[in-house]
Amino acid sequence: MLILYSWLKEYLGEAMPSVEETERLLTFHAFEVDGAEVLDNDAVFDVKILPNRGSDCLSHRGIARELASIIGRPLAVDPLATTPPELAKTDKLSVSILNPHACPRFTASLVKGVVVKESPAWLKARLEAIGQRSINNIVDATNYAMFALGQPLHAYDADLFPQVEGKWQFIVRDARPGDTVSLLAEAGKTEDRIIELFSSELLIVDGSSDIPIGLAGVKGGRYAGVHQGTKNIIIEAAHFHPTLTRQTARRLGIVIDASKRFENEPSRELPLYAQSEIIKLITDIAGGTFEGMIDEYKERKDNPSVVVTTARTNALLGLSLSLSDIKNIILRVGAQIVREDEISVTAVGPFERTDLLIEEDFIEEVGRLYGLENIASVVPPALPITEINARHYYSEQVRSVLLDLGFSEVITTSFQKKGDLQLKNAVASDKSYLRSNLKKNLVEALDKNFLHTDLLGIDGVRVFEIGTVFTKTDQGVAEHISLTLGVRLKGGGHSPKDDVAITTAVEALSQSLGQAIVASANKGVAEINFTELLSRLPQPTAYTPFIKGKDVSYKAPSVYPAVARDIALWVGSETDVTAVEALLRATAGPLCVRLALFDTFTKDNRTSYAFRLVFQSYERTLTDTEVNAVMEKIYLTVKEKGWEVR
Amino acid sequence: METPTGHQHPLTKMIAEINAIFADIGFVFAEGPEAETEVYNFDRLNVPKDHPSRDMQDTFWFKPKDVPEPMVLRTHTSPVQARYMESHTPPIRIIVPGKVFRNEATDATHEAQFYQLEGLHVDKGVHLGHLKGTLEYFFSKFFSGKTEVRFRPSFFPFVEPGVEVDMRLLEGNSKLAGKWIEVMGAGMVHPNVLRDSGIDPAVYSGFAFGMGIDRLGVMKYGIEDVRDYYTGDLRFVNQF
Repeated sequence: MLILYSWLKEYLGEAMPSVEETERLLTFHAFEVDGAEVLDNDAVFDVKILPNRGSDCLSHRGIARELASIIGRPLAVDPLATTPPELAKTDKLSVSILNPHACPRFTASLVKGVVVKESPAWLKARLEAIGQRSINNIVDATNYAMFALGQPLHAYDADLFPQVEGKWQFIVRDARPGDTVSLLAEAGKTEDRIIELFSSELLIVDGSSDIPIGLAGVKGGRYAGVHQGTKNIIIEAAHFHPTLTRQTARRLGIVIDASKRFENEPSRELPLYAQSEIIKLITDIAGGTFEGMIDEYKERKDNPSVVVTTARTNALLGLSLSLSDIKNIILRVGAQIVREDEISVTAVGPFERTDLLIEEDFIEEVGRLYGLENIASVVPPALPITEINARHYYSEQVRSVLLDLGFSEVITTSFQKKGDLQLKNAVASDKSYLRSNLKKNLVEALDKNFLHTDLLGIDGVRVFEIGTVFTKTDQGVAEHISLTLGVRLKGGGHSPKDDVAITTAVEALSQSLGQAIVASANKGVAEINFTELLSRLPQPTAYTPFIKGKDVSYKAPSVYPAVARDIALWVGSETDVTAVEALLRATAGPLCVRLALFDTFTKDNRTSYAFRLVFQSYERTLTDTEVNAVMEKIYLTVKEKGWEVR
Repeated sequence: METPTGHQHPLTKMIAEINAIFADIGFVFAEGPEAETEVYNFDRLNVPKDHPSRDMQDTFWFKPKDVPEPMVLRTHTSPVQARYMESHTPPIRIIVPGKVFRNEATDATHEAQFYQLEGLHVDKGVHLGHLKGTLEYFFSKFFSGKTEVRFRPSFFPFVEPGVEVDMRLLEGNSKLAGKWIEVMGAGMVHPNVLRDSGIDPAVYSGFAFGMGIDRLGVMKYGIEDVRDYYTGDLRFVNQF
């Protein structure tokens, strides 16, 4: 959520830390701050409110309260003062809540004689600073109160809302099949959205006509909307069930600031404070007179009393705090201590903190406010391992055998375009099935890699994968681990030599593991059920010691094609091959990315060396002319050396 | 031309190293299925149904007709915590390296499949200091240089308190040296998770952590695009 520095300062007063300090304090004691944008004499923070704090901290007052707890100072101005504000009642409004579980509280207030106009500059500036478009003073006031306190509000034009027997009547009820509601146009759209309802949604209904006027918690309707000529308004502030709100919002794809807040279960105490705040604001910026309100509070939900012991706090945090340290921190959060003895305190979180429910919740508060940096590192004393993972042990053994035979290990995608087992909700249509074997992926790997044998300096492609595959059975989804080998030794596809290489490798595995492995090579690929093979192998008793390899600094391959050229030359038999290589390399320059000796023979005191040079650029596709020029240079240099190019 | 030795994939190479480092202090390499039940992937980890925290997991679901109960491709290796705890008694020390899946658009830093490393230690008197010590021990070995760790407040349904973990390599001339890097989420196992797995939270406590192995490779080897791990391309694998 975007949080404005000067807005926080309004609550914190003199205690307000600097911009940099605010960012640091929030990051290390509460929430990550994803950068601060500095404005003239102000700053906007992007604060990543954690999911368990959406109830109280999707608001400036909530963040200000966090800072106050962190620095251990009270708020200079707190709109959520301890006693709920007293607001006059009116009998001009009524509400009938038919589903109190879904709507435990509903408040509405009546303000007469307002003037709808542009918001004052300070209000426009504040909303704009946190990315909100100013609409008019009434709508802006409802938004402002929401961003201040975290309670969504909605304003109606009272004159467009018919009265029955001198009363404006609200009904809160479940939707009935066939009900429709016309929602206010979404940002960027000009037309209202008409929504057909099932029966799971909760509606705000005009009691005079039984017309649905809003989708409770999700979005206000077009009905009785505030416009330029509006004079008398009704402001609604209610509490709607978080799960219900979330389900409706998700299903209709409407996730807006209001629904986001209701989903996080803000306190049921909030609506009254929000009414108090908005009535003050509206009478201030739009004129008018507050005529009274109604407050239907069907189901309370008070925060629980939680016993917090010194022993458990220190045991989980690894600290040695005293009971009075713990008590002081809990008080800083704004909680009340309702009981106390030598070993514990019993605390009740402040009403707006609907997340403080168990002892561990309070222990977390103690840890983060005291400072997680004060926790000292302790390495648990070493213990012998109680089990050896046979799958890992034998996988490593298989790898070692296959690497020695020139096989490289690949890990390929678990998703396929086609198959037997389709997922319900895959992102991409070409990845919506799960693999039932590894064969297909390995054939693809053989095809792709064969194009790069020169670049890789290999005489053919040998790969293997050890991975999970999935099958559909009568009982559901079954999975097992497959060990699959693939070989491609010649261009143009499969050759019988591939299968021979695989058979040799399978025999080597069989010998190393001491178990017969039945795997027939087919078109250069053989698939082995590794899970089944494991079941025949003895339980290992110790891991083979791990040898740390050399450090690797990876470089992504060039996207441009590689070009290969061969050169064979006669040199005196006393000439060292490394000297020949060094000369070729130096002459070929940086475009030569690989130089490999592939043939040697000696005759009549002369030795013939054949090299393959592979050229590639990171910047462009190399042309034949370019590569030929390099080769010409090499021929010349070789000649000068007195060596004969064959 | 003779056949050169093959190359091991960096992910399994890292897993082997991770296992060796943790085995030295008694952590068992545990594992579980990639096709997981909704119960183990979410419910048993204290993720309430329809709670916004499920937004943190974009999940691949199996079709109801194919499975006897709701099933997903596991979104984390954490279900193995619950599976292991219900079949073992403390002291428990496990690591769970394994493939996990997220239903999200892919780019250089996101893949729909990746490897996660889960860690769990449950015993009498386990605290956040042990988590910090264990992670500093691990990173110092894995990155071959003294490494420090710091915590920031965070939230995951299966832990309380929850922390975000940053690490900083103090030695060496690697590009990583001297910089704080956000590496994982962790915390003290939520009492509901312990209780549901048959462990009494009044007697035992535990820490748990989870991090991406792919990301460890980004840091260790300088891999820039995490999708490269799964291409089957030897121009990638053969550099390791």
